[in-house]
Amino acid sequence: MDSITALLEGFATAAQPEYLLYALLGVTLGTAVGVLPGIGPAMTVALLLPLTYSLDPTAALIIFAGIYYGGMYGGSTTSILLNTPGESSSIVTALEGNKMAKAGRGAAALATAAIGSFVAGTIATVLLTLLAPTIADLAVQLGPADYVALMVVAFTTVAALLGSSPVRGLASLGLGLFIGLVGTDTLTGQQRFTLGVPTLADGVDVVVVAVGVFAVGEALYVASRLRHGPIEVIPVGGRWMTGEFWKRSWKPWLRGTLIGFPIGTVPAGGADVSTFLSYAAEKKLSKRPEEFGKGAIEGVAGPEAANNAAAAGVLVPLLTLGLPTTATAAVIVAAFQSYGIQPGPLLFTNNSAMVWALIASLYIGNVMLLVLNLPLVKIWVKVLRIPRPYLYAGILLFAALGTYAVNFVVDDLIVLLVIGVIGFFMRRHGYPVAPLVVGLILGPMAEEQLRRTLQISEGSLSALVTSPFAAVAYSVLVVLLAVAFVLRLRRKKEESLV
Amino acid sequence: MIAEKVEEYAFGGLVAAVGVFTLADATTIAARDENAVGPRAFPYVVGALLVLAGLAAIIATARGKLGQAEEAEDVDAGVRTDWVTVGKLVAVLVAHLVLIDVVGWPVAATLLFFGAAWSLGAVWWRALPIAVVLALVVQVVFATGLGLSLPAGIFEGVPFLDG
Repeated sequence: MDSITALLEGFATAAQPEYLLYALLGVTLGTAVGVLPGIGPAMTVALLLPLTYSLDPTAALIIFAGIYYGGMYGGSTTSILLNTPGESSSIVTALEGNKMAKAGRGAAALATAAIGSFVAGTIATVLLTLLAPTIADLAVQLGPADYVALMVVAFTTVAALLGSSPVRGLASLGLGLFIGLVGTDTLTGQQRFTLGVPTLADGVDVVVVAVGVFAVGEALYVASRLRHGPIEVIPVGGRWMTGEFWKRSWKPWLRGTLIGFPIGTVPAGGADVSTFLSYAAEKKLSKRPEEFGKGAIEGVAGPEAANNAAAAGVLVPLLTLGLPTTATAAVIVAAFQSYGIQPGPLLFTNNSAMVWALIASLYIGNVMLLVLNLPLVKIWVKVLRIPRPYLYAGILLFAALGTYAVNFVVDDLIVLLVIGVIGFFMRRHGYPVAPLVVGLILGPMAEEQLRRTLQISEGSLSALVTSPFAAVAYSVLVVLLAVAFVLRLRRKKEESLV
Repeated sequence: MIAEKVEEYAFGGLVAAVGVFTLADATTIAARDENAVGPRAFPYVVGALLVLAGLAAIIATARGKLGQAEEAEDVDAGVRTDWVTVGKLVAVLVAHLVLIDVVGWPVAATLLFFGAAWSLGAVWWRALPIAVVLALVVQVVFATGLGLSLPAGIFEGVPFLDG
């Protein structure tokens, strides 16, 4: 089917008042959790999963997509206005944005972040619209060995390329894969690693794990080192609608988009890498490099655009291959699965109406987010001031509620607490939590494809690498690892200069 | 510093131990057909990964490469770990899950929110009313709006609270 026609039909669905309302709900929630420290989009989507079972899948996915995009916008407000470092992908924004806000140019910093996010989000969504159907068409031909290769690539990039310690990333991935193994084997019906506990026979629910590591783990960790005293929010000052603002912002927005989208698409390290690269590029191209580190608007505009473009890029492998490369994407895959839908190449043929409505809602959501984050930014500044004891008490309450609402059994809360404590220690010792969630969700899929491959080849391991696509994927992986190694060295150098 | 290093060793050891358990327990999974790839193969891979990663983390710790504690907006990297507060939060969560089936969700939830907020430094007379209102609102929303009923406990039979 012609994808423009399909997209227009998607708009017709997404523009229905009911779906518009769901989109608004999603982006508002997303901005809120993006602004608030301690909760992020991954956990919010996980928490809402049990509550949205009664909705139709399209509505639920529109909400989740809104949360996903909204979280990106909200995060920048926090990093610009809060006097402390935050979420990894927005640390670069904090560098310049924070300095701008302190110098009384907060309004300009917020505006360039919001408009940049909008420009990048929209362009990247256009690219997604154009690319996704083509990639899906090609992906239909992939065999099980090719999927194994793709998942190995995803595992390696998420675990070993993100974060500061590849070893700890791999350990986190392993823990996630292990939790994914617990339960009944789908092919033989045997129980594995259940220790004879009946609750574990159905496996550990994704919601429980995601909420455990993100919400409970985070709350315990913050509690262990809570920053006391008043919350220092920098007042928003200055004017932004100046000729200079536009002149200095538009190029970084476009450059950021061009850097962010491909990086999001090819799982090469996620938003973190793209913001860093964009920042480095802007610094190099700037006519006033001396302003960097003291509040250069280009240093906010570029990375913020890159961040949002990368987020949209992540949706390409997610929708066309069923391959999540971030924690939030992994939880969204789990959401698809809870509705009996497997994201992947067949999505565009089997669930065409739904997926196009979802893509259309991304365009609409971006417009809503621009309004929510530009004229209405003052509301979020208030949200930022919520006293921390109440914020974290609320996070714990809703974590327990969301977990309990999955099956209405207390045993799930015990699992939640255990996983929360593990998440707490992981944060203390530099173990990233994203690989755990990705491993948990992709692990069972990887096992299935692996067994299918080896069944067809009658146990011959060479079948894993003889498919041309798989061979290319493994080669690309080796190149990626080499590039990441070089980038890591450069980044260390760059950081020591900052 | 020494305490943190011990903790790092312990966590690395835990990861490796989970790996050993995975490898050992995988041998007990019945594999009917020896030729086809059965339910054991993938667990072996996962177990090996865990053992190797756990050992590598221990070696990294021994060589002085400690994990960097995560940064977050509300985390003060300069202060010492407040184990008492962490303990209080865990205790509050345990109390919550024990109490749900005894006194019902609204009371257990009030206790969870109040206990957590108070442990984190909120004033008790402000935290308590918020906790009560929040728990009751959620209970009503669930009972009337979502059609999912949380155990009402002591409020059993009360309109709007018992779904």
